[in-house]
Amino acid sequence: MSGIGGGDERRVSSLRELSPAIEPARDLWPQIEARINAERRAAPGARGAQPHPVRTRAVPLRWLAAAAVVASVAVGVWIGRSLLPAARPGTGVASALNASRGTPATVDAPTALDVTYISDPRYQRDRAALMRSLQARLSALPPPARAKVMASLAAIRRAKDDLESALGKDPGNALLQELLVNTYQDEMRVLTDVHEASEAGRGI
Amino acid sequence: MTQAQAEDTRIDWEAALVERARAGDPRAFERLYREHAGRVYGLCLRMTRDAHLAEDCTQETFINAWRALPRFETRSSLSTWLHRIAVNVSLAKRRKASPVEPRLEDEEGTGGALEWTLETPVEIQEIEAAIGALPDGARDALVLHALYGYSHGEAAQMLGVAEGTCKAQLHRARKLLRERLNVEVG
Amino acid sequence: MRVSRLAAAVTVLFASAAACASGDKSFERQVPAEAHGVVDISNVSGTVVVTGWDRPEVSVRAELGEGVEGVDVSTDHGRTTIKVMLPHHSGHGGDADLQVQVPKDSELTVSAVSADVTTTRVAGVQRLNAVSGNITAELAGSDLELKTVSGDVKLKGHGQPARLHVSSVSGNVHLEHGAGDLEAGTVSGSLVVSLDSARSVRARSTSGDVHFEGKLTRGADFDATSVSGDLNVRASAEGGYAYEVSTFSGDISNCFNATPSEHGHMPGHTLQGTRGDGAGHLRLKTMSGDVQLCDRK
Repeated sequence: MSGIGGGDERRVSSLRELSPAIEPARDLWPQIEARINAERRAAPGARGAQPHPVRTRAVPLRWLAAAAVVASVAVGVWIGRSLLPAARPGTGVASALNASRGTPATVDAPTALDVTYISDPRYQRDRAALMRSLQARLSALPPPARAKVMASLAAIRRAKDDLESALGKDPGNALLQELLVNTYQDEMRVLTDVHEASEAGRGI
Repeated sequence: MTQAQAEDTRIDWEAALVERARAGDPRAFERLYREHAGRVYGLCLRMTRDAHLAEDCTQETFINAWRALPRFETRSSLSTWLHRIAVNVSLAKRRKASPVEPRLEDEEGTGGALEWTLETPVEIQEIEAAIGALPDGARDALVLHALYGYSHGEAAQMLGVAEGTCKAQLHRARKLLRERLNVEVG
Repeated sequence: MRVSRLAAAVTVLFASAAACASGDKSFERQVPAEAHGVVDISNVSGTVVVTGWDRPEVSVRAELGEGVEGVDVSTDHGRTTIKVMLPHHSGHGGDADLQVQVPKDSELTVSAVSADVTTTRVAGVQRLNAVSGNITAELAGSDLELKTVSGDVKLKGHGQPARLHVSSVSGNVHLEHGAGDLEAGTVSGSLVVSLDSARSVRARSTSGDVHFEGKLTRGADFDATSVSGDLNVRASAEGGYAYEVSTFSGDISNCFNATPSEHGHMPGHTLQGTRGDGAGHLRLKTMSGDVQLCDRK
């Protein structure tokens, strides 16, 4: 058998307590999307041929997009260092509880220097360390949690791909840059949460 | 917002996504996929007992659903509709892979409704293994009725059998689970 | 008779250990506790149900499954610690169902892995952490910090302002009758929030949808971002608000009859304007999600 419930030693008193939902081990959407798009292309008069742009994956364009991102970040760094005031720390999902006790939480738009978060050597080092231990950490999670976290990490990867691809078309777009920084920060948050969660599973 | 209002909001939101998907928006359909993939895959996996086959079934379910969206009636339950498709796909894949089980005799008046409670708690992995070891027909009926909450009639209709046959399969499932888990199943 | 606090703590520890060494499947213990003390509960698997009460004591009742060694209950300097004990290196061990009653103004911390956590009538600060367990909590005007990886979160307030910080990776978050300052983040779960009065809101998601309904106070600050999730916001405000909505490839709809502007030949839509006096600020940003904005139900 496929190992449903494998590793899950929780006890239940009724079959109705079993969860009907099981997350697949991998994201099945890309193949579904590819089949749907293939059918839509094959039937041009069919439903949905026009209204919304298809999110195709133009592989060669992504290399250009990545180069455009690097170039735009480099320009942003130059502008930031030359013209803008000293950078404020990236907003992330930092706790407003500590940062602004007694005052409403404020939201700072990211400066160009916030974009350099991604190329910061400390960030790269910390991320690499978390990624190296990710598989082992995921294995330590309860199976239902593991599947959900993998789906979330896949969502983050897709978000990064989509944002970088869109930045390729519009490199100076501040909205996309802000969302990209947010996404990288959210990825770090997830990697850190998984790290802590797997420690918790070994005895709180 | 009350629980009922939240549920209504969710249903409205889902209906809006269906409309957009029907109009050809693949992003809307992807959101519907994300919402329902777990339950569809869980159904396919328990019916086929093979992860690769279950992945194929899940993908085919959603592709068939995409094709059939123009015919879906928004006032029906999307999740029930997807499960019907998933059951059909799973049965077809299974028939290709293995011989057909002998038919069970219809059973009427087999006693009161079962709540599927266990006399003593059992580990989830043990129960899932026991369900996986059931013969196909018994397992299908048990999964749809006890795990997914469908009535005898609904489960029978999905499986393409008479309601009496479905009830017979459920009682067979109960008997076999009782033997395998060594606990009373009520 | 004077007994040092340390001795009292040790006494309680040995007493609780002894109760479990006898092989009992149930466990029960009461210890005195300060009205505004700290209660710290940890359980790997099972359930944790915490209820606030008016007595100056902590009461613990537990049903322990196989593989659970026992429950350690100790008090020291106003802190009561309740920990389900598992054999060393047992991984996820056995289940324990805890029912804990605490002085209602206690500062409560709960740490769980796959245990579901429920709190009611706890008026003090709550810090709730779970990996895959679901969290259901009642809010009573004090701060809340909540973190979950994949469990779902249900929060119910009574409209009393507080600082709420909720972080989820893939669990869904549902909050009703909250108030005050909210910071909520999720990757792929959905955020469904209703606030009776909000002074500040920061909501962030990657692919999950964000639904918000509620009233903003005068001068409130509201900020919601998503990469591909939809943003559906129905926010009214004393003094109104200045709004700015940006999306790269999603659609923007609103009940103001305002028309989003395009960015010339570049992709993207923006909608800007003012409702009422424009006292507050509302910003909605998404890459490919759709945005719906209205200032009435």
